[in-house]
Amino acid sequence: MAKLKQSAKSRLNDSCKRMTDLIFNYLTDQLSPALKDEFERHLKICPDCVNFLNTYKKTVSSAAALTRAAIPPNVRKNVLAFLRRKMHGIAAIFLYFMTQLTG
Amino acid sequence: MQTMKLSALDPQEKETTMSVPQTALAARTQSPAYTTRNLRPRPAAVRPAARGKKLPIDDQRLIERLKAGDHEALEAIFNRYSGKLYGVAQRILGESADSEEIIQDVFWTVYRKAKTFNGDSQFSTWLYRLTVNAALGRIRRSKKHKEVAYDEFLPKFQSDGHHQVRPVVDWSDTLDEKYARHEIHALLGNALDELKPIDKSVVVLSDLEGLADREIAEALKLTVSAVKTRLHRARLFLRGKLALHLGHSAA
Repeated sequence: MAKLKQSAKSRLNDSCKRMTDLIFNYLTDQLSPALKDEFERHLKICPDCVNFLNTYKKTVSSAAALTRAAIPPNVRKNVLAFLRRKMHGIAAIFLYFMTQLTG
Repeated sequence: MQTMKLSALDPQEKETTMSVPQTALAARTQSPAYTTRNLRPRPAAVRPAARGKKLPIDDQRLIERLKAGDHEALEAIFNRYSGKLYGVAQRILGESADSEEIIQDVFWTVYRKAKTFNGDSQFSTWLYRLTVNAALGRIRRSKKHKEVAYDEFLPKFQSDGHHQVRPVVDWSDTLDEKYARHEIHALLGNALDELKPIDKSVVVLSDLEGLADREIAEALKLTVSAVKTRLHRARLFLRGKLALHLGHSAA
């Protein structure tokens, strides 16, 4: 009985669910050597997990290839103009107070 | 010319070329197991051109000048980061959004709060934090975001832990065969928009921007372990979305 329980437990340990949870750390090489070995041994006997891993990796690489929206030239221009206005505004107020104090 | 010079100032570039302690990102990209990040086109395009050129004025110097009230330092910071941050804000808010106000607020905050930046985190991480916070704040206020239940798109398992739907189909090659690049981008872009805003931010900072988990944790005030959990779940969701589009089970 104990042996049966042990075998069910080891099957579960080795299950695809567990492997799916390990994918993240496997891909970033953050698994302990023992876990990495266990993960790779599972891949050797489980084509479902190999396929799952491939599609997971494909998802990440496709997301990484998404292009970044370019900042439109008018937005750059507007924001720079805004920042200059505000900075000079603050500088002008500062100078005003300085002249009041010293004058 | 200026653009080229500025692109060489990419903070990731600094991470990889300076002899600083190895960051999680560097460890990741050097890992043979981790192949996905190597496919990121932007840094690869930037690095070779940047090598051998005169070192740019670093962020630290610029922030010191800014603290001393140098207006030109803010403009230099703007030129260096506005494109990147605009892209991040736009991606978090969705394609049709107008991120001008976000970018404006971010750089004005940088000017006003420069003195509070103490260098505990990287300057770029602080900028990402300001941008993501501003974008998330806008989403919260607009109340437009529809919550999508992830479960339908996540893998499912039998009681013994094996995949519920077998065989699991490997569609990693057929995705590019079946769809043009712009279609995949639209598909993934829409799927990203269905993620919870915080999860989308994690994916954008990690998989699109290439930040290390530790930097994302700092930028979003999450623990590293929460970043990993959110990122993994979000990727599983995106994977499920792609699988279903291709006529396969998400499970």
